[in-house]
Amino acid sequence: MTHTPTYDIAIIGGGIMGCATALRVAEGGMSAIVLDKDDLGQGASGVNAGTLSLQIKRVKLMPYALRGHHLWEQMGDAVGFAKTGGYTLAFNAREAEMLQERQTLKAQAGAPIEFVSNNALRAAEPHLTQKVEAASFCPEDGYANSSLTGQYYRGRLRDAGIAYREGCKVTDIGHSAGFLLTTTTGQIRASRVLLAAGAWLKPLAALLDVDLPVNARVNTVSVTERIPTLMGSVIGHATGLLTMKQKANGTVLIGGGWQGLGTPQDGRGTVNADAVKPNLALAQYAVPALAKARVTRSWTGFEANVPDFYPLAGALPGVPDAYVLGCVRGGYTIGPYIGQLMGDFILGRDPELPLFDPGRDFTKDTT
Amino acid sequence: MIRLVPNQATQITRSEKVTFTFDGTPVTGHAGESLVAALMRAGYLALRNAPNDAAPRGAFCGMGLCQECTVMIDGQVVEACRTGITPGLTVERV
Amino acid sequence: MADHYDIAVVGAGPAGGNAALAAAQAGLRVALLDEQPTPGGQVWRDKSASILSAPVTPESRAGAALRKAIETSAVTPLSQIRVWDIRLRDDHWVLQAQRAATSQEITSKSLILATGAREYVQPFPGWTTPGVIGLAGATALFKQSLTLPGKRTVVSGTGPLVFYVASEIRRLGGEVAAVVTPNTRSQWARALPDMLGQPKLLARGALWVADLMLARVPILWGHAVAQVDGAEQVTALKVRNLRTGTDGPDIAADSLCIGHGLIPNIEAAQILGVAVRHDPSLGGWVPDAAPDGATAIKGLYLCGDGCGIRGATAAGLQGSLTGARAARDLGRDAPTSPLARWHKADRFGRAMTALSLPTPALEALTTRDTIICRCESLRCTDIIDEVATGAASTNAVKSGRRAGMGPCGGKYCQSAIATLIAAQTGKSLADVPPPTPRPPLRPVPLGQAAGAFEYDALPISKPAPL
Ligand SMILES: Cc1cc2nc3c(=O)[nH]c(=O)nc-3n(C[C@H](O)[C@@H](O)[C@H](O)COP(=O)(O)OP(=O)(O)OC[C@H]3O[C@@H](n4cnc5c(N)ncnc54)[C@H](O)[C@@H]3O)c2cc1C
Ligand SMILES: Cc1cc2nc3c(=O)[nH]c(=O)nc-3n(C[C@H](O)[C@H](O)[C@H](O)COP(=O)(O)OP(=O)(O)OC[C@H]3O[C@@H](n4cnc5c(N)ncnc54)[C@H](O)[C@@H]3O)c2cc1C
Ligand code: FES
Repeated sequence: MTHTPTYDIAIIGGGIMGCATALRVAEGGMSAIVLDKDDLGQGASGVNAGTLSLQIKRVKLMPYALRGHHLWEQMGDAVGFAKTGGYTLAFNAREAEMLQERQTLKAQAGAPIEFVSNNALRAAEPHLTQKVEAASFCPEDGYANSSLTGQYYRGRLRDAGIAYREGCKVTDIGHSAGFLLTTTTGQIRASRVLLAAGAWLKPLAALLDVDLPVNARVNTVSVTERIPTLMGSVIGHATGLLTMKQKANGTVLIGGGWQGLGTPQDGRGTVNADAVKPNLALAQYAVPALAKARVTRSWTGFEANVPDFYPLAGALPGVPDAYVLGCVRGGYTIGPYIGQLMGDFILGRDPELPLFDPGRDFTKDTT
Repeated sequence: MIRLVPNQATQITRSEKVTFTFDGTPVTGHAGESLVAALMRAGYLALRNAPNDAAPRGAFCGMGLCQECTVMIDGQVVEACRTGITPGLTVERV
Repeated sequence: MADHYDIAVVGAGPAGGNAALAAAQAGLRVALLDEQPTPGGQVWRDKSASILSAPVTPESRAGAALRKAIETSAVTPLSQIRVWDIRLRDDHWVLQAQRAATSQEITSKSLILATGAREYVQPFPGWTTPGVIGLAGATALFKQSLTLPGKRTVVSGTGPLVFYVASEIRRLGGEVAAVVTPNTRSQWARALPDMLGQPKLLARGALWVADLMLARVPILWGHAVAQVDGAEQVTALKVRNLRTGTDGPDIAADSLCIGHGLIPNIEAAQILGVAVRHDPSLGGWVPDAAPDGATAIKGLYLCGDGCGIRGATAAGLQGSLTGARAARDLGRDAPTSPLARWHKADRFGRAMTALSLPTPALEALTTRDTIICRCESLRCTDIIDEVATGAASTNAVKSGRRAGMGPCGGKYCQSAIATLIAAQTGKSLADVPPPTPRPPLRPVPLGQAAGAFEYDALPISKPAPL
């Protein structure tokens, strides 16, 4: 048998979490290899709605999201970044109250969110429905093009001299002096491992006898064909059940976390028309002229979470030199930044902001 | 000359002619025939411009799949190859 | 309220039509859905209302017979209905359908997909010029509108369809400037033994060719159209000898009908989880289905060209077998027919499909500047460049370049892109599967997909944790 080279770290999962961490540890001088069972950026990181919105971020994650926004801006055209500002809408008194309460807390956490009058809203977005009860605005909000995730990170990894393997599923992890990974394309040795397998973290951690309480949601996104301009900014709904933007090419992307079918183990998940319909209805309610736009595609992706809905970011409990990063709510927005923090942690540096102990008690909000 | 495949053009009878407009110009066709057929006969082959390079495009698959023949009727994008013409129909370019 | 049936059949061509008839004969409530105005499918597409009378053809006769049989049966034909999504909900199938400006849901215990095929055209310079239409697309124009694609037409492509189209142009009074086929006479000679099983079809083909020869229409065997000229529409085209690589003189024409075989419409089956495999002799990627339509998924059946290009005869036979099988699975009595006729038709169909397949010489006509993805105006170089950056799958190329993200959903670029990826990466075509299929099956206006709704009745769940 030929001698397999030993990497300082093997990163399992080539989504945004794995790739962003890889870039950081390589900068710090480690040799890294990124492994993905599919192609890079074909999991959640490549199919998400691409919304970069502080208005839908969790209050405690705001500092991370703010820094994430900054990084996206730097990535710029290569990821289809656009800072358009975003409006979050409430259509009745109950939603208006919810909007007031939630956005005030987010503003206090550092997001430049303000409430706007109906007139200001109408002037900015003339195609919106007349039925808006209240609206908030955040000038920092915008979007990037998540389809470009794979292309972008493939280029970044290559430029940084980081090895990656696609179509390489890790099926076993041996652990004595270092790690010996068995994959569908051969064995790989590494001194450390980072589990960054998104919605597939649970079975992956189980290979190291660690039980991570990871669940997966099956989020749906739909897109229309190119249409004349109907909106200039990111449009959201007080409940978070609608996020919508019109891309520079004229297509309108509609998300909001409506649930499709299937499990990560079965593959990519499938669209559930019963969930797509109310999602589209909400979009049409917000912008009535969308009724005639033709929907060309709906798809799903798996978004991982743990019971307290905070990230897993730190050392894998009980396994020295093993780390885990995932389950970040708003993980597309926050990914590039939290990947840097994770990289710093692995390099033995002090991260700029605290990580989220994967060994915590998930039944209470301890972070 | 002997023809094994006879010319049957004269044996076809068609419905009455009706007028519709394409991009503001009156066009005639037979009631109920497909918009693509009527436009083709009237010499309109280029129905839309492609995104990105704005190149002219026209009907291609004839079966409602390729989306090359799309036109706008009442603000709705439809496939011309799957749309029958009626008198007074207003058809715009997308 | 949803309309509920024992069996829903999607596609009213020879396959779906016969499947519906067989199932209804067994006493089941059957809905037969099709986006066309009347049953018939592609091969037996009906005349539009603009044709008051016209000479009978074998296709129009067969189509009329199928429509008559359906009319006088217990089948419920639901025409001009576009199915845009299908899903298993609990123990029944739910079909989302669009009909003119309305939308409806149709449910059934079992589901038969008979979605037929679409055309493949190997991209070459100028193939997006208005006036260039598919060979199969041309037959749709003939059957529906009895209209010619132009005044002087070049007919080009592989397989038998090229001669059928040339002959139809002559029948409808048009001029065929030339027939250009990449197939050679010896290829046809080799296919002869498989064709002898269908003597009627063989005789018809021979007549088309003889008529063209008598009329002194040039038939260029082993040639292909290498380029189309014309800014706004076709004015002339270049023809290349595929063996020698030399170009002939320009041919003046105002239209070109061109096609290189058919591709099964497998997306609906794929979305429902039927495994697909690569079988060039059946037109590329095909879903796994038995001769009687059964699949690995309970209550889901496939028949006709949608599960492998075998042609209309095989489609009709498989339709009958499938309808009967689905009925038996629902506890009804239905005859089990011997498979011998189907096997014979299968053999003929595969031989025709083999003749229609694009060859490397044909693929070489795709220059670096040729448009590959029509919807997004992507050129061959765009695809090659993307593969060069490391994108090694159709999904990756789609994500990186929007190849296949336009309104046709990749139906007309996928195969060419897979071929390019295979060529660049050294993979075999069987290792480059199509991108993950996604609904809707056809573009659907958002308002119709959403359906009628009351804001207060939308299932608004509680917001995400703060
Ligand atoms: C345009 C075209 C023309 C052809 N012409 C000929 C010919 O003249 N002679 C010949 O021998 N072969 C022809 N063929 C080959 C053809 O595949 C035949 O072999 C035959 O029609 C196959 O029968 P089928 O029942 O399997 O499918 P089809 O006849 O193709 O029937 C499938 C039907 O399904 C419907 N359908 C599919 N998806 C949906 C959906 N989502 N919602 C609603 N309806 C849907 C379609 O409208 C279609 O009517 C043609 C193929 C094409 C694509
Ligand atoms: C539909 C959808 C919409 C979303 N919208 C937004 C949004 O608008 N804004 C926002 O900020 N966030 C959004 N998110 C969340 C965001 O996309 C995710 O938080 C983030 O992409 C997760 O990145 P990841 O790297 O952890 O996971 P993934 O991108 O899923 O990457 C995990 C990778 O691991 C690989 N893998 C798994 N198991 C193995 C194995 N055994 N061996 C090798 N490789 C393996 C997988 O193939 C996959 O590529 C959305 C999520 C979804 C699903
Ligand atoms: S010609 Fe292809 S959709 Fe009309």
